[in-house]
Amino acid sequence: MIDAPERITLEEWDLRYEKLYRAGLPQPAYGGPLSRHVSDGDHRLLKLRYDNSPAALRLWNFLLTEEDRLHRARAAGKKIVGTMKDLGTVPVMAYSFDNMVAFYPDGAWWIPCVMEYSAGLLEIADSLGIDESFCPVRAMLGAFVTEAHFPIPNMLICSVGATCDDFSAIAQRLNGLGHSIFWWEIPHRRCPEQAEATAELPGGLSAPRCQVEFVKSELARVKVALEQLAGAELDEERLSAGIRQANLVRQSLAELRYLAFTAEPCPIPALEMLVAEMLAIHYCSDRGETMVVLEELLDEVKVRVRAGRGVLDADAAKIFWVNPVADLQVMNLLEDCGGRLCGTEYLFTHALDPIPENVPPLEALARAALADPMAGSSIDRAERICSDVCRFGAEAVLISRIPGASHCALEGQVISEVVADTLGIPVLEIEVPPVADSMSPTVRTRLEALAETVRARRRSRQNRWRNG
Amino acid sequence: MKTIIYTCPYIPAEWIAAHGLHASRIVPDHVDADLSLARAEGVCPYVRSFIGQVMADKEAGGAVLTTVCDQMRRAFDIIVRNGAIPAFLMNVPNTWQTPAAQALYIDELKRLGRFLVQLGGTSPSDEALAEVMLEYDDARTSIRSAREYLSARRFADAIAQNRVCNKLHTLHAEPLVEGVPLALAGGPLMRSDYELFDMVEQLGGRIVLDATETGDRGMCPEFDRARLRKDPLRELARAYFGSIPDASRRPNSDLYEWLERELIGRAVRGIIFRRYLWCDLWHAELGRLKDRIELPVLDIDSAGENHLERPRISNRIRAFLEMLQ
Ligand code: SF4
Ligand code: SF4
Repeated sequence: MIDAPERITLEEWDLRYEKLYRAGLPQPAYGGPLSRHVSDGDHRLLKLRYDNSPAALRLWNFLLTEEDRLHRARAAGKKIVGTMKDLGTVPVMAYSFDNMVAFYPDGAWWIPCVMEYSAGLLEIADSLGIDESFCPVRAMLGAFVTEAHFPIPNMLICSVGATCDDFSAIAQRLNGLGHSIFWWEIPHRRCPEQAEATAELPGGLSAPRCQVEFVKSELARVKVALEQLAGAELDEERLSAGIRQANLVRQSLAELRYLAFTAEPCPIPALEMLVAEMLAIHYCSDRGETMVVLEELLDEVKVRVRAGRGVLDADAAKIFWVNPVADLQVMNLLEDCGGRLCGTEYLFTHALDPIPENVPPLEALARAALADPMAGSSIDRAERICSDVCRFGAEAVLISRIPGASHCALEGQVISEVVADTLGIPVLEIEVPPVADSMSPTVRTRLEALAETVRARRRSRQNRWRNG
Repeated sequence: MKTIIYTCPYIPAEWIAAHGLHASRIVPDHVDADLSLARAEGVCPYVRSFIGQVMADKEAGGAVLTTVCDQMRRAFDIIVRNGAIPAFLMNVPNTWQTPAAQALYIDELKRLGRFLVQLGGTSPSDEALAEVMLEYDDARTSIRSAREYLSARRFADAIAQNRVCNKLHTLHAEPLVEGVPLALAGGPLMRSDYELFDMVEQLGGRIVLDATETGDRGMCPEFDRARLRKDPLRELARAYFGSIPDASRRPNSDLYEWLERELIGRAVRGIIFRRYLWCDLWHAELGRLKDRIELPVLDIDSAGENHLERPRISNRIRAFLEMLQ
């Protein structure tokens, strides 16, 4: 007998935690009641609704204790690498060393939301001339200044070229403040010319062979820098082992995503899925534990799917979500408004697709890096979205615009047009700030309207079908 | 002869011209802004106007864009989907210090060359390329040497004219106004922004350094003639990719080295920092400029609505000059 899956508040989680604790719930060292993180300043947690499984508890606790892990790693003499912007490639290299952990300072993106602006990071960014016309990643600058959210890394490695202007500009500002940065170039992925040698990339993409070679040479530079930091060589065997480990995480996540997006009723809420996907980028500073956390979540989902149980109504509108949302609460809101997640594209599909294992490891990573949706055209990205929409059976696409993001305004237009032209399904664009409370009624109305449109389309399809 | 339009300073006009095509570096205007874009908010006004001008141009043989900034990269997607003329996106690396980045730039020039040939151009021999490069170099040298006897506006016009045609009208000396020496720094100017030069003069200043993308800063430096004769394409790449300082480069320390040198060399007393709303690359440099350069800086942002912004800008420049005098 399993507990009925449901979405519960933080208060309800505390009561449930007590019960589970008394019943002898096994917990990792970072376990404990979720509400304890509120005293660290994570006030947004009070407003969220969570999955009620112990697997979800572990997931959240794992996510919210990353800073402690980084400090422990430093105390244990490990080198800390701040990987920036590439989302998923350099960490695979870093975790192939025994004495290195990597994390994304970019993750400060979420701090204004999770701490409901109380950390003062945006004010610091403002004072450095990086105001609200930039995306929420500007909080990263404040985090470097206060040194209160992560230890200052031993090395910063940032990809530039075909990236967003926000990050590139902010990283340069950080560099100007005295933080040394190792820059590496990711070129804009282009279509191969006629008769040009081509390489296949993850995600069904392709690129000219010369672009793969170029990225490979850039990653070779990164490798040398990491080797110098680690004081150890990263040979092909170790890097290949690192890739295999990364692929295990990706495989587990792929299974989880498939079940989460296709099973009826929806077996796991959108918010936990968002957190789970983020683990694939840099393993929340512990690759081994990431695997355990994901496996546990996957087991829970499998049990629920077998039992035909879920967290939402079976007729929830199936929504494909594009871009990470600055306010986590909006993922709850989608479900409150009658929607469910049915596919996602949070700008890091290349960190979810398996890394090729049939080519030399550096080449494999170069191919994965080039498959970054940010590195390619908006049209490529829109086409991938269309193909995933079909794969998961989504009925509408929601593009969550990121305030200030350099890519959003023009890219949103291309994605909307391509999805509408190709699939003819509804597309909604919303813009969500890090704390969307004041806009919540508007966002709610728009999400409800989208869910209702989906249901109306279903009804008219059924009518057409019934009437021959 | 087909015209190829472009705007990025890292595209060598010589390369297009050597293919037997007419290179025209367009200077869009606010009124060109593409109104059909789904959203104006979040889009750099210059990008909006560039898209609008390319979309409206039914005569040009092709358009060339670069990856120097993310928004221009996205503009290419819009143009390629909805535009009427063939478009090409050239990868211009942001990193510049590695031989691989330099080689990538040269490869991209060659790829651009193949695009130009598809449009009816002819692949140039080294001699033909060298000849065109010399013509352009001469024209730029005359512009530079005219700097001392042209008003800032005329000087900026001459640079713009050179980008449309390397044959210059004679540059006659004109009486120069006295004024507080200022620099104008930032991204590219649009056509009607050129009135800024006049405005500054009327208010008692003089732009002695045009460090905008459309000004002195974005102008290719002199070619090394020995290297030019030996390997013209490599010299072209060295001069453009290797020498034009810009906010987009990582790191962009060369921009500050260039600025420091020029500011001292021209005895500049204050900087007008002109940027577009939603241009992250230049916006982020404002704080850095203030930290690094010990000169007063006036920040002027533009949403691309010149007619509404003019009084505000004029008042701010007046106050800035009063403070400097
Ligand atoms: S949200 Fe968009 S603009 Fe912001 S850092 Fe991420 S990719 Fe860049
Ligand atoms: S002004 Fe800025 S955003 Fe606009 S085109 Fe230039 S670099 Fe790009």
